[in-house]
Amino acid sequence: MSLRPPPAAVLVAVVAAAMACDAGLEPEPICARGLIGVCGTIRLSGTIPDSTDNVFVAAFTSFPQTCNDLILNRQPFIPSSVPYTDSVALYSIELLPDTYEWVVAVWKKVGDLTLTAQDTTLLRVAGYYRSPADSMQPGVVTVPTGGVVDSVDFRVNFAGLRPATDFVTCTAR
Amino acid sequence: MHRALIGLALIALATADAGAQTPEKRGGVIRGEVRDPRGAPIRGAVVGVPGTTLYTFTDGAGRFRLAPLAAGEIRLRAAAIGYTPASVTVTLVDSTRADFTLEPSPLELTPLDVVSTKVPHFGEAAASVAQVTQQDIARRAVNTVDEAVDKAAGVQILNGQINIRGSTGYVQGLNSRVLLLVDGVPMNQGDRGGINWDLLPVDQIERVDILKGAGSSLYGSAALGGVVNLTTRDVPTGFHARLRVTGGAFADPPHPEWRFRNSTGLQDGVDVSGSYGTEAAAGRLALGARHSDGYREQDERDHWQLAAKGRWQASPRTRLDVSGAWAVDQYQVPLSWCSRGECDDRGQIYQPFKVDTTERGARTDSRKGYVSAQLRTVKSDRFAWQARGSWLRTHFADYRRSATEFSVANRFGIEVRAEAHPDVARTVLVGGEGTFSDVDSDIFGTHSQSEFAAYGESEQRTGPARITAGARLDYLAVDAGSLTAVVSPRIGGTLPLAGGTLRASVGRGFRAPTMAERFVHTFAAGFEVIPNPTLRPETGWSVELGHITPVLGAVRLDAALFWTEARELIEPQLILVVDTVTADTTAKIQLQNVTRARIAGLDATLLAAPIPDHLTASLAYTYLDTRPTLAFRPTHLLTVTADYAPGGTGSAWGIGADFRYASRPERIELEGFVDPRRVAVRVLDARASWTSGPVEVRLLVANALNYIYNLVPETLAPVRTITVTAAWSY
Repeated sequence: MSLRPPPAAVLVAVVAAAMACDAGLEPEPICARGLIGVCGTIRLSGTIPDSTDNVFVAAFTSFPQTCNDLILNRQPFIPSSVPYTDSVALYSIELLPDTYEWVVAVWKKVGDLTLTAQDTTLLRVAGYYRSPADSMQPGVVTVPTGGVVDSVDFRVNFAGLRPATDFVTCTAR
Repeated sequence: MHRALIGLALIALATADAGAQTPEKRGGVIRGEVRDPRGAPIRGAVVGVPGTTLYTFTDGAGRFRLAPLAAGEIRLRAAAIGYTPASVTVTLVDSTRADFTLEPSPLELTPLDVVSTKVPHFGEAAASVAQVTQQDIARRAVNTVDEAVDKAAGVQILNGQINIRGSTGYVQGLNSRVLLLVDGVPMNQGDRGGINWDLLPVDQIERVDILKGAGSSLYGSAALGGVVNLTTRDVPTGFHARLRVTGGAFADPPHPEWRFRNSTGLQDGVDVSGSYGTEAAAGRLALGARHSDGYREQDERDHWQLAAKGRWQASPRTRLDVSGAWAVDQYQVPLSWCSRGECDDRGQIYQPFKVDTTERGARTDSRKGYVSAQLRTVKSDRFAWQARGSWLRTHFADYRRSATEFSVANRFGIEVRAEAHPDVARTVLVGGEGTFSDVDSDIFGTHSQSEFAAYGESEQRTGPARITAGARLDYLAVDAGSLTAVVSPRIGGTLPLAGGTLRASVGRGFRAPTMAERFVHTFAAGFEVIPNPTLRPETGWSVELGHITPVLGAVRLDAALFWTEARELIEPQLILVVDTVTADTTAKIQLQNVTRARIAGLDATLLAAPIPDHLTASLAYTYLDTRPTLAFRPTHLLTVTADYAPGGTGSAWGIGADFRYASRPERIELEGFVDPRRVAVRVLDARASWTSGPVEVRLLVANALNYIYNLVPETLAPVRTITVTAAWSY
C-alpha cells in the first residue's frame, strides 16, 4: 500500500496554508497618520522607583532657564504618560510645527501637580534626546508644517533621575 | 397540548404496569469486553439491547456488564465511534459472556445519540448532532472544554460564548442561546445564563455531544440554538490512577510595538485522579491546578479544581450516580485595548496586547461548583424511570479601580422522567422538570426565577423510517410574580434511502431572559447600562433538512440546510433617556426585545479516509446568512482536520493538524463606539503524539503561524502557544 498522501489532501493542505498566511491584525503606526509632532523609541533601564506615578515626554522650543520655564513652556502643557514598565517603549506626542531645542522624558512622583514651579519637587529629568553630532548636547528637532519627525529616540535611566536644578535655576526644591 | 402530554403520561404509566405485571423469567447478567482487531480495549462503546431500556457503556478496559436480563435469546448490539457496529445473539440462562471485536471504520460517527432525545438510542438522529470524543480531546491535547468544543463542525466560541450555527453572537457573557448539560443536567449559570467552561477538568470528559438547532421541546429554556452535553468518564472497576502534566510557552508579540514584557510567557498544569470501583460501587476523585502567564498584558491566571464522581448499584435494577465539581479561577482581567485617542494615558494602549492603565490591577475571582445525583431504575426491559436533583453555584467578584462588582447565584434543579418501550418499534418519554434560580449581586440585585415544565416525546419506527414527535410546556415566573407560559413542540424523522439517510425536523425553541439581562445596572463602553424587568422570552422556529451520503467507499458527506425564524431576540440597544429633574438627555444601554431575525444556511461535513488505517481527514463548512445582519456572525466557517498515523491506527506515533477559517463578521455591536478593527480567523494548529503503554506524550502548537486576530472588538485572541502534555495511566 502506498502511503503517499493523495493529491486532494495536498491541495487542501496548500489551500489551508495559503489562507493562513494573511498577516491578521497589524500594529497601529506609532507615528499615527495625521500626527503633527514627534515620535520614537525610549529604551528604559534601572529599577523603577516605587513612588513612580508616570513618565511623560515634553518638548521646549528653547532650552528652559528657570523652573517656571520648565512648567509653563512645555509642550504639550498637560502631557500623557508613555509606557515605562518594559525595556522599550514607543511614544508619540502632538506638537505645533516649530523647532524644539529640548525633547525630554520626565519622571513624575506620585502627587498632585499644581501647574506651577512647585511641581518640580515631583518631577525629575529621566533622559532627553541627544544631538547625533554631539551626544553630550540636546538634539534639536524641527517639526514641519503638517508633518511628523520620527526616530526621536533616547534613553531613560531610572537609576539616574536628575532634579530640575541640574538644568535650570529654581526656587522650589 | 395538555391533553397530549397527559396522554403520553398515561401510556407510559400503563406500560409500566404491564411491565410490572409480567412475571419475569429467571435471568442473569451478561459480561464481556469490546476490543478492536488488535486486541486493544475500546473505551466508551455502548452495548445494549436495541429498543429496550437495557444498555451500558464499556469502561477503560473495554469491559461491560449488563443486567438484569430475562433468560432466553437476547440480541446484543455494540457500537463505538470509528468502528463498525456489531451484533450477537446469546442465550442467557444465568450469567453469560459476550465479547465483541469491532472493525475500524473511520467514517462511523454516531453509534449512539444521547442528546437529541434524552433516551440513548442507536442510529442516526433526526437532528444534526456533532460529537467530540475523548480520543479527539486527547489527540488535540487541549486544556479546557471550550477548546475541545471549538473544533466541532459548525461551532464557534467567541470569547467563551458558544455559537452553534450563529445562534448567540457575543453579548459580554450575559446569556447563552445554547444549553450546557453535564451528564444530562443543565448547568447554565443561574444569574447570567452563561456557561462556565472551566467547571469541569477536561481530563474527566468522556465525550461531548452537540445538538444543533432548537432543543427546547425536551430541554426548555436556553436550548434555542442548540444543546451541548458533556459526558463525564464512568468509573471503572478496579483501581485506576492517572497523572497528566502540561507545560507550554506563548509566542512573543510579532511586532515591537506590541511588546509588553521582557520574558516569554509560560503556562503549566497538573491533573491527578484516582478511582476504585467494584460492580456494586465505585468512586473517583480528581484534583488539578493550572497557571498561565497569559499571552497579553495583564493576563495571568490561576485555576484550581476538584471533581468527584461515584456510582452505586443499589440493586440489579437501580443505579445511583453522584457527581460534583468545584473550581476556583483567579485571573487578571485583560481589558480591551482602546480606540486611539480615547484613553491614551500610556500612549500605546490602542495597540493589541496592551491595556489601559486606568484598569491596571483589575482582576476577577470566580468560583463555581455543582453537585448532582441521578437515580435510574429499570423496572423492566420495557420501562425505566429516572430522577435527578442538582445544585449549581457560581460566585464571581470583579475587582477594578473604577468599581467592584460581585454576584452569587444558585440554580437548583429537579427532574423526573419515565421511559417506556411499548414495543420494539416505539419509545415514549414523559417527564417533569423544575428549576429555581436566585441571585444576590450589586449589579443584578437580589432576585429569583422559577421554571416549571412538563414534556413528552414519542418515537415510532415504521419500517426503516423513524418519526419523533414531542412537546414541552414551560411556565416561568420572576420574583414569584405572574407566570409566563411557553410551548415548544418538535417533530422530526429519519428515512434511510438507497443513497444515504434523509433527516428532517422542525421545532420551536425559546430562551427566558436571564436575571442579569432583566436587572443589570452597571457601566459598559462608557455608557450606563440600565435594567429592563419587562423583557420577554426569545422564541424561534427551526427547520432542518439533512442527508448523510456515503460517497465512494472512503468518503462520507453529512449536509444539512437549516432555517431559523427568531423573534424577540434580546439585544443591547443605545437609547436616549431624559432626566425628569434636569431635563438632560443621556445615552444609555438597555437590553430590549428588538430583533426579529432569520438565520439560514448550510452545514456540511465531509469525512474521508483516503489511506485507510493511516490517514483520516475532515472538512466542515458552515454558510450563514442572517437577515437583518446580526452582529458577530461570520458568513463562512471552515474547519479542515487531518490526522496521520505512520504505523496505522494504534501505532505509537501520530501527527495531525486543524485549520480554522472564519470570515470577518460584517457587523459588531456598538459599531462606532469601539475600535472597529477585526479580521478573518485563519488559525492552524499542529500536533504530534507518541504513545507507549500507559504513557502518552503530546505536542500541540496552537495557532502555529502566530496569526494575530480578534474575535470580538478590542480583545486579542490567543497567539501561538506550544504545549507539551504527558500523561500516565494506571
